Amino acid sequence: MRDKLRKWREENFRNSEQIVDVGEELINEHASKLGDDIWIIYEQVMIAALDCSRDDLAWSCLQELKRQFPDSHRVKRLAGMRLEALERYEDANKLYDSILQDDPTNTAARKRKISILRAQGKSSEAIRELNEYLEHYWECFLCSPFFLSLSFHSHSYAKAAFCLEELMMTNPHNHLYCEQYGEVKYTQGGLENLELARKYFAQALKLNNRNMRALFGLYMSASHVAASPKVSAKVKKDNVKYAAWAASQISRAYQMAGRGKKENKCSVKAVEEMLESMQITMS
Amino acid sequence: MGEVELSCLAYAKMYLHASQFPRSSVNGLLLSSSPAGAAVCITDCVPLLHSHLSLAPITQLALTQVDVWCSQTQQRIVGYYQANACVSDSSPTPCALKIAEKIFEQCNNAVLLMIDGEKMFPGCRVPPIVMYERKDARWALKDKHTIMLRQWEETCSIVNQLFSSGDQTLLVDFDSHLDDITKDWTNQKLNAKIMELISPANGNV
Repeated sequence: MRDKLRKWREENFRNSEQIVDVGEELINEHASKLGDDIWIIYEQVMIAALDCSRDDLAWSCLQELKRQFPDSHRVKRLAGMRLEALERYEDANKLYDSILQDDPTNTAARKRKISILRAQGKSSEAIRELNEYLEHYWECFLCSPFFLSLSFHSHSYAKAAFCLEELMMTNPHNHLYCEQYGEVKYTQGGLENLELARKYFAQALKLNNRNMRALFGLYMSASHVAASPKVSAKVKKDNVKYAAWAASQISRAYQMAGRGKKENKCSVKAVEEMLESMQITMS
Repeated sequence: MGEVELSCLAYAKMYLHASQFPRSSVNGLLLSSSPAGAAVCITDCVPLLHSHLSLAPITQLALTQVDVWCSQTQQRIVGYYQANACVSDSSPTPCALKIAEKIFEQCNNAVLLMIDGEKMFPGCRVPPIVMYERKDARWALKDKHTIMLRQWEETCSIVNQLFSSGDQTLLVDFDSHLDDITKDWTNQKLNAKIMELISPANGNV
């Protein structure tokens, strides 16, 4: 059970119901055998308990942590998270402000304050605060996934693109960031962005040739570029080739997936017809 | 404008979709197998996304594929639903309005349905939905009295049964399908399970 919790902690899984189930039993029945691990388990279970509206469990974990670490900023942050879960945002903010007074570089407290703005629906304020923070502490790449989701939420595609550029720099083998960058460029639209999108979808496929979103993305961006009246004959020819390649890969993937499974016939047929109809508009 | 009827099947799947991803915004399309007329009968829905709803490529892809599937199965896309990640906010986002506009171009009594997260608790007596219709070039709240959910109590009980039997995990949305294309976004299996539960209530054999 201990190992399960450790795995979920290390891989950042948010399977809160399972964590509460396993963690509660561990704490109630086997606390004495956990040694120093118990504190990090209290923290993990407390956060999961907040996610599942188990304030009783969250409160008891918090009490144990407060008793053991009375002046800890980390524990104070957890107390703040509990107040957030109870929607007592003003009280939570006061707590985080007191942490920041002691330690202005405390990333966790800043993130929580910005999360509160987001929970209250104040996305543009949240982005402004995060911008300000990143200006002073730009090494904080760890903020980037958080910034990314905020940018998507408020339709700030340029910011999302900037964020993804940073993430791709620090995680060059991550196919998901390449593919998401392609999606953002596609969404921004315009010939240049579509060509860029196509390149990044292709890069994502190089890193992981089973990324279906990248495959479809490549197909759609190449098709749109080929269909544009502004491109030269050579560019058109090249993009028709890329699109045809992507279409054949998509067909093959769906044929293999559909084998022997009656219920998949619907999605296989839908994809086949879609590829056919898009071909017609391209030529 | 006209009346809108929401079937148990469509409601159940929307509810399951929103419950499956409580921390994300989710969206999907509303379908009808009835002929076009003054009243809109929403007979089914297709859950689409639970991540990055505002990005274009996958949304376009999903719309195209659902369109194709509808023409193969004599259905039409008649609306769009969305549940926001922020439970206290059930207002349509810019991307919801955009997609609803696109649907309106093909279907002039299209509806936009927002799920009200605050009313999604067991025992709630009111359906957790807010519906909008196109009026005077904008999306306006629909009069509650023109929205019909037949056999509301039975619908609630069917949803509860799905949760207690664990069948709610059968729901596949388009996003999950792209993660694993052997999963069926038309949800044939789940549809069959729900229809089984519905029949005794209707007294149909």
